[in-house]
Amino acid sequence: MSYEFETHRIVGGIGADDPYWRALEEGRFELPRCAGCAAWMWPAHWRCGRCGSWELHWVAVEPVGSVYSWTRSSYAFDRVRERAPDVPYVTLLTEVANTDGARVMGMLVGSEVGLRIGAAVRGEIQRPSPKSKGYPSICWRLQA
Amino acid sequence: MSTLRGATAIVGIGQTPYYKRATSPDPELKLCLRAIVAACEDAGLDPRDLDGFVSYASERSDAQKLMPALNTREVRFAALAWIHGGGIPGALSLAASAIMAGQAEFVVVYRSMAEAQGQRLRVAVAQNDTAAQYLVNGLESPAQILGLRAQRLFEGAGVPRSTMQAMAQAAYYHARNNPRAYGRNTVLDDETYASARRIAEPYNLFDCSRENDGACAVVVASAARAGRLAKTPAYILAAPMGVAEGGGALEENIRPYASAGQAAVARRLWTESGYGPEDVDVLQVYQNMTGMAVASLIDHGFCTIENAGAVLTFENLIAPHGRLPVNTSGGDLAEGFIHGMGLVAEAVRQLRGESCNQVPGARLSLMTGGPGDTMSSTALLGTAATL
Repeated sequence: MSYEFETHRIVGGIGADDPYWRALEEGRFELPRCAGCAAWMWPAHWRCGRCGSWELHWVAVEPVGSVYSWTRSSYAFDRVRERAPDVPYVTLLTEVANTDGARVMGMLVGSEVGLRIGAAVRGEIQRPSPKSKGYPSICWRLQA
Repeated sequence: MSTLRGATAIVGIGQTPYYKRATSPDPELKLCLRAIVAACEDAGLDPRDLDGFVSYASERSDAQKLMPALNTREVRFAALAWIHGGGIPGALSLAASAIMAGQAEFVVVYRSMAEAQGQRLRVAVAQNDTAAQYLVNGLESPAQILGLRAQRLFEGAGVPRSTMQAMAQAAYYHARNNPRAYGRNTVLDDETYASARRIAEPYNLFDCSRENDGACAVVVASAARAGRLAKTPAYILAAPMGVAEGGGALEENIRPYASAGQAAVARRLWTESGYGPEDVDVLQVYQNMTGMAVASLIDHGFCTIENAGAVLTFENLIAPHGRLPVNTSGGDLAEGFIHGMGLVAEAVRQLRGESCNQVPGARLSLMTGGPGDTMSSTALLGTAATL
């Protein structure tokens, strides 16, 4: 299978997270654990700094957690100009439950009522779109 | 204590005017030459005698391009400190290390920036190293990413937002006395601050640094040489660079999070210099955004999360008589922004008694690198009396 995000590749990160984007594009939310010591490892890396293993296991994770931090962007920033029609928009840094504190970014969708650090959120996977630069994405919705 | 302590000094400073971004009459390389030649004139040196060239981040004016116009005898050392504004004091450290290792005698540390047609400076500065996690989710600018960091400091840890306003107002207050300052005509009263347009929460327009065209350079030499040059030397007491476990390129998974990521280098700064926060007379704090500068001051031990609101008040932050005079040129917010390099020049001016907002008798002058960067550095400069 070919993946849309691979034709819009963004360089600049560590680069070990292709399986994350592939799973997301297939509609699954997965995060990696070290195959050697089982430690959660986010962002994904090439080697486990704790045990030295070079292998990761990607495991399905329920996309629930809490707001670790957030920002509301009120300006159409240059390299994310695709989002200009949505300004102001809120991006969350979500601490995903049961992952030893892995924090995953995503747009806030739905109501902003109750937006605060610690608020419960649930993730929704979105297909690749120009707004997400051809990548699939996970968005977060505040839970009442 | 480090063998670098007091072994070298900044002997010359030079800079071009700050131009509005994309309006410099000169291209980047020419701006760079102007700043370097000015720094040599300040020191009483022939530019031809520079044999070391050090910068940081995405600097494009390299030694090879500069040397024909400087009539350089021989480039003996050239290096670039990793990362962005976090690397400025680290660049001083590279210069000092090269001199102490006998690799060079006069090292110029510099930064030159002029916005190319159609490309924002901060885009060039980002060096194409922003991970997909950010860009996919509408995040690209330091204002946004450091907005996430700061939100955790303010909403999460409970540091009062009044600290951000005080940092911004102190910067603009100092700029009013500085003829070089790009923001010298702005009166940042409470009303103006409160009604400013939002950029990326918790930041408004006045919480964010400028983007200017310009260049700034300083010349570093051994302490022995420094004593024989034209100006009062600003000795480099310590300039550690680095990042501790839990930090690095972790896409907002760094631990601790509500910080500038400078606690480790700050500890080294105090150990290597033999001084502590209570000894410092004046501070030039890299202020890409006010919130991160607040975090920087906490990391350095000038205040704590608990007492930041009481310590970081406008009255405390202004020269000449505040307890903690910060960004006395106006700094990155109000003087101008050549990727923070102007702060080094101001840290030196304070030790010479040449600042537009002079702290009387300043002996110890701090300059911090970019906070919230994936790696950072910090420097303490001192007069001969502090050695």
